[in-house]
Amino acid sequence: MPVLNKKGDDAVNEFNQYVKPVSLWADAWKRLRKNRMAVIGMWVVGVYLFITFGAGLLPFYSYTEQELLHANLPPSFKPAGSVAIVKLENRRVELANAIATNSRDDLKRDLERVNNEIDQIKFEISRDPIHNRVHILGTDSLGRDMLARTIYGGQISLLIGIVGTLTAGLIGIVLGALGGYLGGWLDNIISRFVDIMYSLPYMLVVIIIMAMFSDASNTTVVGIPLNILVLFFAIALVSWLTMSRIVRGQVISLKNSEFVEAARSMGAGSGRIIFKHLLPNTVGIIIVYSTLQFPSFIMSESFLSFLGLGVSAPYASWGTLVSEGVQGMQLYPWLLIVPATAMTLFLFAINFLGDGLRDALDPQSKNRN
Amino acid sequence: MSKFIVRRLLSIIPTLFVIVTLSFFLIRLAPGGPFSREKKIPQEVLQNILKKYNMDQPLINQYFKYMGDILRFDLGPSYTKKDHTVNELIGTAFPVSLHLGAMALGVALFLGISVGIISALNQNKWPDYAAMSVAVLGISIPLFVIGPLLMLVFALKLKWLPTSGWIGSRAGWATVILPTMTLMFPYFAYIARLSRGSIIEVARSDYIRTARAKGLKESVVIWKHILKGALLPVVTYLGPAFSGIVIGSVVVEQIFVVPGIGRIFVQSALNRDYTVIMGDVIVYSIILISANFLVDVLYSLLDPRISYK
Repeated sequence: MPVLNKKGDDAVNEFNQYVKPVSLWADAWKRLRKNRMAVIGMWVVGVYLFITFGAGLLPFYSYTEQELLHANLPPSFKPAGSVAIVKLENRRVELANAIATNSRDDLKRDLERVNNEIDQIKFEISRDPIHNRVHILGTDSLGRDMLARTIYGGQISLLIGIVGTLTAGLIGIVLGALGGYLGGWLDNIISRFVDIMYSLPYMLVVIIIMAMFSDASNTTVVGIPLNILVLFFAIALVSWLTMSRIVRGQVISLKNSEFVEAARSMGAGSGRIIFKHLLPNTVGIIIVYSTLQFPSFIMSESFLSFLGLGVSAPYASWGTLVSEGVQGMQLYPWLLIVPATAMTLFLFAINFLGDGLRDALDPQSKNRN
Repeated sequence: MSKFIVRRLLSIIPTLFVIVTLSFFLIRLAPGGPFSREKKIPQEVLQNILKKYNMDQPLINQYFKYMGDILRFDLGPSYTKKDHTVNELIGTAFPVSLHLGAMALGVALFLGISVGIISALNQNKWPDYAAMSVAVLGISIPLFVIGPLLMLVFALKLKWLPTSGWIGSRAGWATVILPTMTLMFPYFAYIARLSRGSIIEVARSDYIRTARAKGLKESVVIWKHILKGALLPVVTYLGPAFSGIVIGSVVVEQIFVVPGIGRIFVQSALNRDYTVIMGDVIVYSIILISANFLVDVLYSLLDPRISYK
């Protein structure tokens, strides 16, 4: 078949063989599915999102309900009542030994309290359904279910990640695209502003902002505590800088290409060219960068919460749970290990997903495997 | 080159000015202050205290006075730690943080590059897989999770190392190990990945083939030819690694109760100790800005293709 005689609209490669035309997305999806770690990461992220945001519809215990008789129970599949009795009986033996061998009379009151608690649970165990609860990940120092608390903590952590990513996307894309496409004084102002913000030690500024509002956890604005709002704001304030730089660079490299010229010659305005022609060509890199940025917002939030400057009680995030866990970790290690594992697993998964997306959406590797 | 250095040095001044001004007004405009306690002080006493610290004057006057003071390297008195000036507080705490940071960066570089070389030379064999799994762990686990976990295992369960403190305390030098290990871990992991990747890439390049074709010894090829070219990305990463370590030290000092400027920073931020926060911010900013500057200069010295005009 003569080379020049190409078949109409069908895609033909340089050897004039018919190839099935694939969109960027289909191609990326095909490559993403082949990357096993990325697929696992995607599933894990999906399951996390489903569980944390569907928690209200799923049969979990309340994350706020306290039951002091069930404080600091270890992870177990047995009903809470019997786990508590076993724990208290061990404690009773310990106390009795200490009193007998070291003549620690000061512990007698503790022993008495433990005896009373055991009697109380034994009396209630068949009557009160609360003792039939199963805390598979244990309970914290106020007898709250760790599984429910970890899931609920994930809600705020993930929400901050999502809000950060969205604001970074919105502000960064709009300013980056405008500056890159229009150039001139507007670009100058935006770029200088980004440069200055970059040279600020951002985390220090955020720490100061959060410290200033750390008293404000009792004030609420539209039902959201003020200090969580400030946290959103502080993270959003700097999150868009890199995004706007990336989009700006991408737009500048594309704005003189033929397809933009073609659009302009047909009378398209700046807005249409930016939003219909330039931005769709940068979507790949925006998605990749957003997935890689998402965990960094979660890290920042937990970093601040760990220092006591982020989310504060009664609200919880993974950071506050880890920081509460650190305080009791010698005796009750699951208080640290449960939230730490939940958080690490998620960060792991999203890092793998981000790496996979980067490989999949990289136009340089298109149609190669 | 020297022109570039001078210009970069001069550009530090406006950046510092912006930082100081921004933090000053940010701190002052927020509600609460160093003397607002749950226990109310009589109004007259409060007035006297405010007068003593010049805080009864308009904010703008205080700002100019403060700027004048810091130009004379006087960071003022601490509002909550009586008998201490900010210069004294930072002066005793800074060497501790510097020590911790320098050790973390040094260990991260040494271990990271060594592991990177071992991985690259054993590409796709078990040492490579083992090292890279550890590296992925290091990159995704936050510092404040690694720190407590290390403390739980090595200090509380195995009882090999002390849980907290610093060199001056009873446990002595052993206190240094856990904070350093925690702080260096993410950067060690990143440097290991970075140097592995770049060594593998450089090893495939033409000039390495030429070096081998000349009949050079393998050790000479690796140490003199490959490593020299492969370590450039590591140098670029020094800037981000350094600022990461500086910020990370805030949390590590908090976990292991290390008496450095990070701990002072968090405490003073919570106590609204204005002058101490400002002093800390200035010290941190100077460190971060000058580190970036040094990395730029270092980079241009190592890579002949880069020249600053």
